[in-house]
Amino acid sequence: MLGVLVKKQLAEVFKSYFYDAKKNRMRSKWAIAAWFLFFFVIMVGFLGGIFTALSLQLCGGLTAIGMGWLYFLLMSGIAILLGAFGSVFNTYSGLYLSKDNELLLSLPIPVRTIVAARLINVYLMGAMYAATVLLPALIVYWAVAGATAARVICGLALLLIATVMVLLLSCLLGWVVARISLKLKNRSFITVLISLLFVGGYYFFYFKANSFITTMLLNADVYGEKIRGSAFGLYLFGRIGEGDWLAAALFTVVTALLAALVWHILQRSFLSVATAGGSTSKPRYTEKAVKEKTAFGALLAKEFGRFTASPNYMLNCGLGVLLIPACGVLLLLKGRSVTGMIGEVFASRPGCAAVLLAAMLFLLLSMNDMAAPSVSLEGKSLWIPQSMPVEPKTVLRAKTAVQVILSGLPMLFASVCAALVIDASLSVRMLLVAAPLAYAVFSALFGTFIGLRMPVLSWTNELAPIKQSAAVAIALFGSWAFCTVFAGLYLFIAYRIGAALYLLSWTLLLAAAALLLLRWLDTKGSAAFAAL
Amino acid sequence: MLCIEHLTKRYGEKTAVDDLSLHILPGEIFGFIGHNGAGKSTTIKSAVGILQFDAGRITINGRSLLDEPVACKRDLAFIPDNPDLYDFMSGIQYLNFVADIFAIPAAVRLERIRRYAALFELTDDLVQPISAYSHGMKQKLEILAAWLHDPKLIVMDEPFVGLDPKASHLLKEMMREHCDKGGAIFFSTHVLEVAEKLCDKIAIIKRGRLIRTGTMEEVKGDDSLEEVFLELEAE
Repeated sequence: MLGVLVKKQLAEVFKSYFYDAKKNRMRSKWAIAAWFLFFFVIMVGFLGGIFTALSLQLCGGLTAIGMGWLYFLLMSGIAILLGAFGSVFNTYSGLYLSKDNELLLSLPIPVRTIVAARLINVYLMGAMYAATVLLPALIVYWAVAGATAARVICGLALLLIATVMVLLLSCLLGWVVARISLKLKNRSFITVLISLLFVGGYYFFYFKANSFITTMLLNADVYGEKIRGSAFGLYLFGRIGEGDWLAAALFTVVTALLAALVWHILQRSFLSVATAGGSTSKPRYTEKAVKEKTAFGALLAKEFGRFTASPNYMLNCGLGVLLIPACGVLLLLKGRSVTGMIGEVFASRPGCAAVLLAAMLFLLLSMNDMAAPSVSLEGKSLWIPQSMPVEPKTVLRAKTAVQVILSGLPMLFASVCAALVIDASLSVRMLLVAAPLAYAVFSALFGTFIGLRMPVLSWTNELAPIKQSAAVAIALFGSWAFCTVFAGLYLFIAYRIGAALYLLSWTLLLAAAALLLLRWLDTKGSAAFAAL
Repeated sequence: MLCIEHLTKRYGEKTAVDDLSLHILPGEIFGFIGHNGAGKSTTIKSAVGILQFDAGRITINGRSLLDEPVACKRDLAFIPDNPDLYDFMSGIQYLNFVADIFAIPAAVRLERIRRYAALFELTDDLVQPISAYSHGMKQKLEILAAWLHDPKLIVMDEPFVGLDPKASHLLKEMMREHCDKGGAIFFSTHVLEVAEKLCDKIAIIKRGRLIRTGTMEEVKGDDSLEEVFLELEAE
């Protein structure tokens, strides 16, 4: 039974790899293999590559002075943070908000089996990210210090312990979120606020990590002694990776006990949380004057309503709404020194600061991809726009407009800030505003385009279209790839034509591509939407 | 009002609806019955412009659904078998959304919402999120939304499922009243007693093909509709 449930959940996560929703049929074996290869490249090549480089940076130095334990403590800490980050709300929605909860509870399946299946899913997702840190860390260590039986077995035990800790942390925080959200009125915004605190902490750690690692490497013996003296548990934890049997056994037992405790709490509280209707008082309807809207206005309001009602949607597809203007403020404060420094570093590449600044603004825009899952989020309510007297193109334009507004307005502010602080000609300054705005419009149209080409309509958990769909992955990674090409092309070749012409070319190219996409959405896209 | 001519719809190899023709006139309550998987929902979804079909022609008030979909949809309201609404909206937000799409003036919509919500005892719950509604409440909200823009044609797929007896009774009265004013109703149902009492005309579909249609008397004669239906199904 458990196997069936886990298989069902994993099938939903990877559904788009096996099933072509557009053609309404299973993909060919080659297409499935290609999709999994793509996934493998992202996880192993991209994320694994980043952490292999970090491991290589840390491992040699720390192992040479006998502080392999500190290396494992650091890498495990990063793995646990990465695994638990973002999983908190996945745990909440995955455990308690799945649309098939009622169906499964009505079937002769023990509640503990349902909880176990949900937890295994959360575990696998968290473990997947944690492993991209710890596996390279272990392999690098075995290569540098030698792979004895004790190191390999204890290293694998460390991997298991760390991934279970990710699960425990996610569950604990997810359970707290569930409890809080049952008592809150504006739970979407509160959830987003709490998440942003997590994100803020994460980025704070991320930006400080380099200087922290450098300082730590220089003073490894001092920090090592401090940790060993005042936090012996952490020292022991790091020792697991070095092949300490006793530490491995001790932490395995402690983790198992904690897992049992969390399992006990979740199993007992699952029914009450999953079926709770909330304890806020029910307001009664009072008639109010209404403001009439046009069909487009109504659809736009609906899309905004959907976006602001879902913490998952806001967090996974709309972080740029806050981070883009924050970056604008940062530019006003530090922009001159940063652009000056870039100008000095790339003195042989005139105009580089403007292009790199534009690339950074493009990169920030990749945090907003609310248009990509928008068609999929219609789900089973797709019949509503399809049966209403509105042109499909109006529906698609409303979906696109949400991202254009939520990206365009913050970007206008940030790009004006960038234009104010950069030392460049008026034309470059103007193009530094125009190019990101053109990209904001293009990426919104591209999001709707890709979401329409790869819809996932039969989901039971909104995370499937928001976080796990191919459309969102392509929108996000495609955006990163574009930024790399945009910056790289200038640095290596196009600096010869100067920043103004380069930015102008891209602005025109993006505007033309946006027009083509709009044309496609209005014609073929509309037909495709009507045929979904 | 609704004219379906030689409708054919295939899902891959399977023909779900095969050369089906139906004519629903103003003032008629037209029942559509058939076993599970006979092609009722496919026909209905094609008739309201949700499903694209392979052959045939559908017109609403003389306008082709293929050529003028928006104008056709302006004249109709659809109530599906499963009330999958926008869970993130409240009841009143959903009704205002529908009213905006159909461009209903504020004063008119307020009056209609007040009237129909009171009839279905939904007024107090209009401010609640739809996610908190029961199946029956969602069904009632769909009925409110359908009647809100005073459509000429109302198409319903199993409209009585999930409704309490009082709401069912109310819906039947509203259907009759709508047709008495010159509107038309096309609906599918498995409740043959309801169809027998309520419908002016009826059509029976089996494996995608229309096997009998006409006025209630023409279809059932002196027998009950249930007897006729079971007999036709057995053939």
